[in-house]
Amino acid sequence: MSVLEINNISKSYGRIKALSDVSFKVPQGSVFGILGPNGSGKTTMLSIILDVLQTDGGSYKWFGEEPSHLHRKKIGSLLETPNLYHYLTAVQNLRITNSISGRGSESQINEVLQKVNLHERKNSRFTTYSLGMKQRLAIAAALLGKPSVLVLDEPTNGLDPVGIAEIRDLIKSLAKDGHTIIMASHLLDEVEKVCDHVAILKRGKLIAYGNVENVLSDEDCYLLNAHKIDELKNVMRDFPGLLKIVDTSEGIECYFSKWDIMPVAINEFCFHHGIILSQLANKKKRLEEKFFELTND
Amino acid sequence: MIKNIFQTEWLKLKNYKAFWLLLSVTAISYPGINSIAYYAYMDSIDEKAQSGKLVKMLIGNPFAFPDTFHTTAYLSSFFTFIPAIVVIMLITNEYMFKTHRQNIIEGWKKNTFIWGKVFGVVLITLIAVLFYVVVATVLGSVATKFFDSTNIFLGSKYILLFSLQVFCQLSIAFLLGLLIRKAFIAYGIYIFYTFILENILGGILRLKSKKWGHDFGHYLPFEISDRLIPLPPFIGKFNEAENKLAIAAVNNHIIYTIVLTVAVWVLSFYIFKKRDL
Repeated sequence: MSVLEINNISKSYGRIKALSDVSFKVPQGSVFGILGPNGSGKTTMLSIILDVLQTDGGSYKWFGEEPSHLHRKKIGSLLETPNLYHYLTAVQNLRITNSISGRGSESQINEVLQKVNLHERKNSRFTTYSLGMKQRLAIAAALLGKPSVLVLDEPTNGLDPVGIAEIRDLIKSLAKDGHTIIMASHLLDEVEKVCDHVAILKRGKLIAYGNVENVLSDEDCYLLNAHKIDELKNVMRDFPGLLKIVDTSEGIECYFSKWDIMPVAINEFCFHHGIILSQLANKKKRLEEKFFELTND
Repeated sequence: MIKNIFQTEWLKLKNYKAFWLLLSVTAISYPGINSIAYYAYMDSIDEKAQSGKLVKMLIGNPFAFPDTFHTTAYLSSFFTFIPAIVVIMLITNEYMFKTHRQNIIEGWKKNTFIWGKVFGVVLITLIAVLFYVVVATVLGSVATKFFDSTNIFLGSKYILLFSLQVFCQLSIAFLLGLLIRKAFIAYGIYIFYTFILENILGGILRLKSKKWGHDFGHYLPFEISDRLIPLPPFIGKFNEAENKLAIAAVNNHIIYTIVLTVAVWVLSFYIFKKRDL
């Protein structure tokens, strides 16, 4: 079942098309990353599904139903920047979250503040917090009442490396407990480490979407090395189904259509042509490479 | 649902120092202006001087019951701009901190958010009216020599008129804050309009009234509710004919004020619903 279903959503700001016919589904229990360079429409998309912005066209459904404020009460969200009352303390801000959404309780307020390491500063006013602390309080507000769905827009913004690692672990543990997490980020490493599904946006258009493995690997790449590297290169040029060869400092990268080739076939082919391979490794493409490949003009 | 809205708005306000500070300024301004007027009156009726006796005979005692409710309502209305600043602050703060978005994200309907602000404006109105009633009662008690219990609350219709006037003017301040979204620009426009522009427009329309046969200045946004409380008799005596007309028009202005206030809130609900947050 899909937690969120987006159908042909479009949104313009004057003449600028922020989103154009974007459709995807977020499976229940997934960690779904929305990726894209700045200005690609990530925040616009999240703002629409949280009813902060209105669409020009298209529709979306939460939990298979027409969206309503009752759905939003069940969703923990952090949109763009921490949107909290500057003159109130962490506890007072979370009481407002509790009062509006009905999520959590007084004891759970303390619990989430401990989870994001803000318990000691719980009675300090929001305005006295550092950027990272503000971000952590906003995450605490999203976590209050253990919502089944979390929508997080750049959740690691402003956090130090320790804070980033903590949030990453938190997201992983929430996913393990069955929460669905929808996360927008331009930190590719971040998304690759925590997400199992991804949608990539570019200038408001969806250019790739699906399981991370599938999005990443539309080609198979093998890293090969041998004592006689030039001979290896000449031999591999005759290999059936080879798409291209790229020289690297570690050897040569040979690209094939996905699922077309087995490593044992490469090894046998080289051996029959008198080449003994010193290295044969399947090289997984990193999200970063894929992202640049997709988003570069 | 209503309880939840009140509770949430109260959570926003109860620990907001600037809110209480500005209300304290209101609390000082009402007794301040009325006391100044009261002592000026007391000086002018100094019985040792012949002129004092004349003044007393001419204007009576505007601070004694029941006139105190009229006089203090009229004088206090000059300071409605202070609670108006509080109201502008309430809505522009939400935009500044982007908490209006967060309230929606966390599960409020857009209408619920505006209902919360209606509660805020009602609360501020009630506090302002409370200050006014206390000042009127205290001054009335001090200034009245012979108490007549049936006489004490004869002027208390002004409590309702003052409440309606304050609520209407604060509602306009709210709409301005909602439209402008930036606190200082909204304050500037509010002060400029109420103290300068509306007076200029009122003056121009008054001049044109001879040609047009009617003074349309009476229907300017703040003037509509200003006319709920006509000049107190001791000032009105100086232009009795015009003051009689003003008193006769109060009932009409009650209707105009209610219509204007409802229109302001309908527009506020509409704007917030239709606008991207």
